[in-house]
Amino acid sequence: MARYEIRLSGAGGQGLILAGIILAEAVVKYTDKQVVQTQSYGPEARGGASKAEIIISDTEIDYPQVNKPDFLLALTQAAYNKYQRDLKEYGVMVVDDRVDISLRGGPTYQVPITRLTREKLGTELVVNIVSLSILNYLQGIVEKDELEEIVLEKVPPGTEDLNKKALDFGWQLGEELNQYKIAAKEEEDE
Amino acid sequence: MKKLVKGNEAVVIGALVAGCDAFFGYPITPASEISHKASEYFLPLNKVFLQAESEIGAINMVFGASSCGRRVMTASSGPGISLKTEGISYLAGAELPAVIVNIMRVGPGLGNIGPEQSDYFQMVKGGGHGNYKVITFAPNSVNEIFSFTIKAFEIADKYRNPVAILADGTLGQMMEPIEIKPLEIHPPEKPWQVDPTPASNDRIITSIYLDFDDMEQYIRTVEKKYRQVEEQETMVECYRIDDAEYIFTGFGIVSRVLKSVVDKLRNNGTKAGMIRPQTLWPFPRKTFEEAAKKGKKFFVVELSTGQYVEDVRLSIGNQPLYFYSRVGGNLPSRQEIIEEFYSQVKE
Repeated sequence: MARYEIRLSGAGGQGLILAGIILAEAVVKYTDKQVVQTQSYGPEARGGASKAEIIISDTEIDYPQVNKPDFLLALTQAAYNKYQRDLKEYGVMVVDDRVDISLRGGPTYQVPITRLTREKLGTELVVNIVSLSILNYLQGIVEKDELEEIVLEKVPPGTEDLNKKALDFGWQLGEELNQYKIAAKEEEDE
Repeated sequence: MKKLVKGNEAVVIGALVAGCDAFFGYPITPASEISHKASEYFLPLNKVFLQAESEIGAINMVFGASSCGRRVMTASSGPGISLKTEGISYLAGAELPAVIVNIMRVGPGLGNIGPEQSDYFQMVKGGGHGNYKVITFAPNSVNEIFSFTIKAFEIADKYRNPVAILADGTLGQMMEPIEIKPLEIHPPEKPWQVDPTPASNDRIITSIYLDFDDMEQYIRTVEKKYRQVEEQETMVECYRIDDAEYIFTGFGIVSRVLKSVVDKLRNNGTKAGMIRPQTLWPFPRKTFEEAAKKGKKFFVVELSTGQYVEDVRLSIGNQPLYFYSRVGGNLPSRQEIIEEFYSQVKE
């Protein structure tokens, strides 16, 4: 993992900035890798499409912004429209199933994250932690229990149980992810 | 202790390590978290945090608290610094130490909240009226924001002068780990400070000398102080410059990209190096002069239409100088700079 770029996007208020900070903290605490976390700020972070970005690298991080993400999460159509454009050709994309996407070559998963989170956990509030858990399942950035420790440190007091369930549920979705995989665009003959 | 923080939070932690007593501010994106975190951290430690009615109020509170010998700071972004500029001139005129943080956004006017470096003239060339200088640090990482803030308090007291931390929206907003170590801080005695004791009745903190000769003498004394700052406090990072044919130069966030440009060009067989000022005033003129004497060519990159480049030009005689800038909130990538280099220099 020379340099790995992650972009988490959705609507302002979905908690993706917190998810990004949790992941970055886990990397600082449990790996020897370098990390930079950036995010939407100003009015953008409070509505519309917003994003959090994490760069993880074995070496010093010279350029602190995400150029071409290796991983994209898009929970809303607006976020997808705004932030999908630079995704690496064979980067991984996870989107909510309400998001219409164009077919692409790289691994793409259209997962009913928001609906299942609401049905399973009774609230959409933890969709950020469910998504983070899916990401960590797919990419193996830190161990499951390491991520859990940071999540429990960072979430508001009184929501620990809910967030732990969200982590477990996200992990389970990760294990079942292949059923949500979108067939890749066929290579065009030259 | 390792802690993952935004650049803006690193300012506040650095201030606490340095023994800052009071923060007076007024929020503005992209610097607002400095106020947020100062309110969170200062009050439980029985330090003063005050959100003033305006930036002008804040800088004058800084003047007052500094007059009383306290370590004190304020923070803002370009538009707010414009309002504080009169106060900064008065601080320098009265030889009062203070730390002023500018997390630059896009200008002029309201501009936008993206990163730019177009407040270079504002901080480095004075901005306000009269003969004064603001010692200006240009960190390029969250960790440097932290360590330079600590140093800024020390230098401000040492020279009784305002000191600036000049960073941009990228650095203020991004999170990186910093290594926090408690330091033994011993702020110097300030025999000039005013306080409620009778002993301080004779002490006057002012920038006004009505007699022309007295005024000139005072200005000359301060001028000497500035020469001493130039001799002793210039900080610069040089990277792979010894055998370099081309010197890339920029400050703050840009220098991180330039370092990777240098490595990439070296891999392609171009002898590149980088000079990165860590203090913008005092400017590392001698480093540039020496490089120019060795016949090196210079490639300046900055996030403004051309401010920093003027100081480079003044330091390198007639050596070739190339310039590339991005504005409006954009940060050039390594690839972009390399392509620009090839199109300007190598064709």
